[in-house]
Parts: sequence; structure tokens; C-alpha cells
Amino acid sequence: MLNLARIFVLAVLSLAMPAFAQQEAQDERILLTFIPNVQFAPFYVGIEGGHFADAGFNVALDHLQEPEVLDLVAVGQAKFGIVSGEQVILARARDRDVVYVFEWFQQYPVGLVYDSSRDLSELDSLRGMAIGIPGRFGASYSGLTTLLGSAGLSEADVDVREIGFNAPEVFCLGVIDAAIVYVNNEPLQIQNLASAGECGDLSEVDVITVSSQVDLVSNGLIVSRAQLEAQPAEVARLVDGLAKALRVVIDNPAAAYLASLKHVDGLPADDALLDALQRASAAQTEFLSTKPGRAGVARARRQLAADLAEQFDQSSLAQLNVLLDSIELWDAEVLGYSDLASWQAMRDTLSTMGLLDAGDADLQDAFTNRFIAGHAE
Amino acid sequence: MGKTAIRDHEPELWAHIGAWLRRLSPILAVGCLLLLWQFISERELISHILVPPPSAVYLAFVEALGDGRLPKHALVTLEEMLYGLLMGVGIGLAVGYAIAKLPLLEYILAPIIVGFQSTPIVAYAPLLVIWFGSGPTSKVVTTAVIVFFPSLVNTIVGIRGVSPNLRDMMRSLKAGRWQMFRHLEAPSALPVILAGLKTSTTLAVIGAVVGEFVSQGSGLGYLVTSARNLYDTPLVIVAVLTMTSISLSLYGLVSLVEWRFLVWQRRSNL
Amino acid sequence: MRLRLRELAVDFRGPDGSRLPALGPISFEVVTEEFVCVVGPSGCGKSTLIRALAGLQPPSSGQALCEGEVIDRPMQPFAIMFQDANLMPWRTVLDNIALPLEIAGISRAERYETVLNLLPQLHLERFALAYPAELSGGMSQRVALGRVIVQNPRVWLLDEPFGALDALTREKLSLELLRLRQRNVQTVIMVTHDISEAVLLADRVIVMSRRPGRLVADVRVDLPRPRLPDMIFDDKFLQLAKRVRADIESLGA
Repeated sequence: MLNLARIFVLAVLSLAMPAFAQQEAQDERILLTFIPNVQFAPFYVGIEGGHFADAGFNVALDHLQEPEVLDLVAVGQAKFGIVSGEQVILARARDRDVVYVFEWFQQYPVGLVYDSSRDLSELDSLRGMAIGIPGRFGASYSGLTTLLGSAGLSEADVDVREIGFNAPEVFCLGVIDAAIVYVNNEPLQIQNLASAGECGDLSEVDVITVSSQVDLVSNGLIVSRAQLEAQPAEVARLVDGLAKALRVVIDNPAAAYLASLKHVDGLPADDALLDALQRASAAQTEFLSTKPGRAGVARARRQLAADLAEQFDQSSLAQLNVLLDSIELWDAEVLGYSDLASWQAMRDTLSTMGLLDAGDADLQDAFTNRFIAGHAE
Repeated sequence: MGKTAIRDHEPELWAHIGAWLRRLSPILAVGCLLLLWQFISERELISHILVPPPSAVYLAFVEALGDGRLPKHALVTLEEMLYGLLMGVGIGLAVGYAIAKLPLLEYILAPIIVGFQSTPIVAYAPLLVIWFGSGPTSKVVTTAVIVFFPSLVNTIVGIRGVSPNLRDMMRSLKAGRWQMFRHLEAPSALPVILAGLKTSTTLAVIGAVVGEFVSQGSGLGYLVTSARNLYDTPLVIVAVLTMTSISLSLYGLVSLVEWRFLVWQRRSNL
Repeated sequence: MRLRLRELAVDFRGPDGSRLPALGPISFEVVTEEFVCVVGPSGCGKSTLIRALAGLQPPSSGQALCEGEVIDRPMQPFAIMFQDANLMPWRTVLDNIALPLEIAGISRAERYETVLNLLPQLHLERFALAYPAELSGGMSQRVALGRVIVQNPRVWLLDEPFGALDALTREKLSLELLRLRQRNVQTVIMVTHDISEAVLLADRVIVMSRRPGRLVADVRVDLPRPRLPDMIFDDKFLQLAKRVRADIESLGA
């Protein structure tokens, strides 16, 4: 009898176990763009730091082109994806009912890089310049259109050259006067080339960010409307996990860099740098326990950059600096919130570019802030 | 008697129908594919976002044709393909002839040529764009690189395949180097070289479009990317099918040349 | 055209670089308008001999001379016909026969006229526009023969021209060869492995040894001309054929 009872208990347990396991960690893919890169640190921290697991997810990451990310989410082949806001507007105009639920980039990441000896204090000086751009598509093109628009110029007033994703090389060849780039990446590369004397006469570059002129909606998390309506709690859990991970990255970039090592090939990490980052990460954790506030944390980040620059050369810090520059685009008092004005600005830009009929976009349905802490609608 | 007559006739009739079915079967296969497509999209077995219905593709085709976008981009791609073919096949013929004549040259060049060939073009297409600029030149070069190899190999095979007996015969006729080429080597290698040209034409579109993917601006590759970025899947399909048509047309053109010039082969196969 | 072979020898190089003697040394003379057949066991260097005379195979030692001039390249008065018809499959019968004239730079009208006049003699008048693949083996050899005749050579070099044909066709073509030669008598050197064919056609039969081929016997055939097919039943013919056979068999077949 006793044996039978024991078997019964074991059987119930073994049936129950998978159910528990499923509840604890639900396998989900998050579709990202580009390639594994330190810029995706929030997701690496989310995985390594257990923020996604706490939210009940066992997350795997995939990298695809933006339109593919969007379509796969739209048809339900993946539940979550990261795309830029303009893609959401364009795709919604073509029957893809996706909703933007978390604004990751608070600032539009595109800007214009130029030789700092040039005077561009008045944007009107752009007139007649040869401006390189990866191509007439995507965030770069929207960024250029917006910049020109805010200067009262149009594409016809400048000489737009399509150069692919080769801005550093082409810029250094001197065939363009300025280039539209991702502000957290290429300006640094060009600056490094210039500092190494490999960029002609160029000694220093400056950047005009699009976000300094107009607030445009940028990269964020999307889900399909079907998913949103069927499983709002699930969406809320993932948004929560991502927000926590993002805050960790902002608060402790050294720790975020260390978490990214496992996910990004070729991140510079010699023993000395690892050691320095581990110490910086530990010190930051201690510092954070003093509740220093956003401004204090930002100061600490600048201090980290300055400290490391004294000990290491530019090439081993390049990717860490990309991360630090990216954090400036992410940081905000409330993470994930996007406001209607930035969507309207983006819609206007897309209309200017002729990609959208003005009446086409139902912006109210394109995004929601209901999952943002303190902004439940 | 009457029965026998009918029975005698039947196999012939069936053979006739069989022959016609055989001739029509490729068209039937394409038709079946279209029907399957229509069926899938009508029942929406796969979301229209992924597989738009044929009617939407047709509308996109008419629109892109009407506003001139399709012909414009198709012409760009076609031009890149033709120049690339001219360059790649030309160099392939010249180098192939030299290699066929000088085995030492093959020994020297083989690692470079095979290395180039076994490296996927998409892997180094970005380099070609940096080296040759984002204009049409880089696409022409990409096309040339990709069509070079079949042309080279078939030229070598063709020239090496010239019958040594015919060479002796030509020598006994006191034929000079040019006459040897004009009257023996060229016509003898022509079938193999034309077969290589067929392969080259089908590859040419890959070269041009890979180049267009890497550096945008114009051409069908660009149309695909820009349509994709506007979530206009029907237009993507239109652009892809246009590539197919261009490729098939060039292939058909070479087949026509073959048909015209290789009368003897057709007669020989009778 | 007088031909002289003086201690002519040809060696080939083995794959390991060793010397493989293929022919000779061999010496004999052929006088103007003589018809000489060369017989011998297979692989004895008969074809090499013809190729050396045609200037396609440089001798390793010794010389072949034509009217006192050393043959070191294909020479004007010679035309060669191979065992294989060696027709260009992409050319019609007309253009195959006209090929030597085309290479000699003769105008299209003139060469077509020449060839069209020649075709009836070759019984090919109905096949002017046929391609080689549409011809039988016998017809192909006729085209090859036409390509020799059209060159109007002083010396015909025939390397087993009918070797690949069936016996009936071969006999027919052999006699046609004689008939065509009679119109404009030429010096002929013909390699064959058929003793009857050699005796029936030739003024002299030269018997070569096994590789490397040397001269074993030089048999004069004093049968009257024109030669007719039923001569093969004459005693004289049979005697000569027997003698040639004996010479070959003495080599130890």
C-alpha cells in the first residue's frame, strides 16, 4: 500500500513538473535587426541577468532585416520584434496590424557627421553639400529628410550620394562633405580613423543629431494586435523584463558590456580590460545602492569613460564607447514611453518623402503606452 | 476487318496525343504552380502578408509598368547584365583560349581562378562596390566576375576538345594560325562555348542584382529592396519575376543563336 | 615526283622520358607516278612513315626528300588522306571538299565551281549540301578523297584510307581510287593492312618489319594496267600475294 501511494505521488509530480517548467520559462524569440552587437546589450543583460526569466521567458535572439522582423511578427511567427517606428507606420499602411508597445530608443539615433572645421551652426549651410547616405531607405533617409526639412531645405538643395554602409571609408576618401550615420557608431569610427591619421586632412568630426531638431519616434518593441488582445499579460511581462534590463544597462554599462561578451563575437576583452570592467561594475553596484539619481548615474558613466580612456587605447574601448553613446540615446526618466508628437513628426517626414499618403496613418492605433509603468491608460 | 483497322489506328492516335502532352507539359507545370498559388492565397492558407494573391501581383505589375518604374529599373539591370556579359565572357574567351594553348598558364592561374570561383560572390560584392564605386561600374564588374568562369571553362574545354586529327589535317593543308582558329578551333568549340554562354546569361542577373543589393540606387535589385521596405510584397514579386523573365529571354536568345548556327548538330541528331 | 627516304627514323618519347623507336631507319625510293603500297604488321610505324612524308612528323634521324628537297613541313605537292575521314561536322560536303581551296585563298565562286564539277566523279552530286553525320562511312571517305583530289597534288599520301570500311565498300572504293588516279596520274604512297588490296593497286609493295619498322621486302607487281577486280583470280596475282604474305609471315606473326 505504502509503495503504491509513493508511486502515485511520484506520478502526479512527474505530470505536474512539465507544467511548472512551462510556467517558469516559456520559450520565446525576440527578432532583432542588424547583427549581434553591443548595441543590443539590454537583451543580453535581460538573458544573462535573469530579467526575462523572472518575467517567465526563456528568450532566444534572432537577427533579420527590419521588414522581415515586422512581417514575421505581423503574421505571428514570432511574438516580439524590434523595429523603428517608421517601419510600424509604413507597414500598418500595408495591412500589417502591429502595435508598438515600448520605445527603446528615446532619441532618434541618426545624425549628420561632418568635419568640425566646417561651420554648420546654421543648418542652412547644408545647401549644396555632398551628403553620403547608405541608400534612399530606412532610418537614415528619414533622418536626412527630417534634417533638411527642419532647415527649410529639400533633397534638391543638396547632393545626395548613396554609399551603402561605408560611411567611414567614403568620408575619409573626401568625396563627400558629410554623411548620414548612426550617431552611436560611425562618428566614433571616423574619429578613430582621423586620430590615426588615416582620414586625409580630417582631424576632428562633429555630429548634428536629428533628435536635436525634431523628436522622431525610433526603435522599439512591437507585437501583433492579435497577440496584444489575446495575451496582454504576456506582453506586459516581457515589457517589464526588458525595461528592467534596459535600466540595468543604463545604470551599469560595465556590467552590461561583460554580459554582452557571451553574445557578441570579437568584443575587445583582454585580461586587463576585463579586470578593469569587473572592478568598475562592482564599484558601480555599490554606488547605485546610494540611490544617486539619474544625473548622478550619468556622471558616473562619463567618469567610467574618462577613467578607462586613461588606461586603454581607443581600439580596445571602441565598442564600449558605442555602448556608452547608445545609452545616451536610451536614457530617460520613464523608459519605454513614446508620445504622439514623435509619431506625427515621423508621419510628416514619411509623407514628405512620398512614402505615405498623409491621411493613411492611424497613429493612435500604432502604439500604446499602457504597459509603461505609471502610464496605464 | 474494321475492328482491326481501328485497333491499328489507336496506338498512333495515342502516340500523337502523348507527343502533344509532352510538348505542353512545361506550360502545364507553370499553370499548376499558378493554380496552387491562387488556391493558397484564396483560402489564405498562408497570410497575404507573406504570399499575396496573384491578382495583387498583377495589379502591382500594371501599376509599376504604367508609372514607368518597372521598365526603368529593368533597363538598368538589363544594361548592367549586358555590359557585364560582354566584359566577363570576352575576358573568359580570351583567357580561356590562352590557357587552352598554354598549359603552363593554367598551372599558374588555376589557384587564383578556382579560388575566385569557389568564393560566393555575395561575400565580396561589398568590396567590389568599394573598389569600383557605387555607380553602374561595380554592378557590371560583379556580373562580369560571375559570368567569367563558365565562359572560361567552356572555352578551355571547347578548344582542348578540338580533334587532333582535324588539326593534323589542317596542318597538312598548310593552314596558318589564324586559319586554324577561324576554320577549325572556333567552329569546333562553338557548341561548348554557346552552352557556357547559356549558363553565363542565367548567372548574369545574379551578378547585377547582388551588386544592386549592396549599393542601392536603381535596378531591379533596388526595386526589391525599396518595395520590401515599403511592405509592398506584390511589387517585390513583380521585380523578382521580371528578373526571371530577363534571364529567360537572354537564355532564349542564346538558344536561338545556337539554333541558327548549329544547324549541323540538329541534322546530326536526327 | 621522286621521293627518297634516307635512313629515316622516328623515335617517340615514353612518359618516363625514355626513347621508344617507332620507325626505321628505313630507306627506299619512289619514282614519279609510281603507286607504292606499304604493308606490315600493325604498329610497325606505317602511319608514322606517311606522317613523316606529309611533313607532320619530324624525323629523329635521317631524311625524307622530295625532288632533292628535305621535307621538314607540309609541302605543296603532297596531299594526305587518313584512315578516319576527318571531316568537319559543321561543314557540308561541298564546304568540306572546298576547304583546301578556301585555305589557299580561292574565291567562293571559283571553289564551288571546282567542287561541283568534281562531285559527280565521286558519286556525291546528290549530297553536296549534306552534313557528314548524314553520310555512310563509304561516302565520308569519298568526301575525304575529294578533299585530296581538289588540291591537285603531285603526290597522294594515303594512310589506310579504307581500313574502317566493310570489304565490299572497300573494294569498290579501291577501284574508284584507281579510276580517279588515271585521269591525272599521280605518285601514290598508300599504307594498308590488306595484302590483296596492296597487290591489286600497287606497282610495288613494300613490306615492313615489326616495330620499329624497317624494310623487309620490296616486291614489284608487274600486273598489267588497268587493273580489274577479277585479276585477283589470276595465277600471277595469287603468286605475288603469296609472296607478300610469306614475307610478312617470315616476321613471325
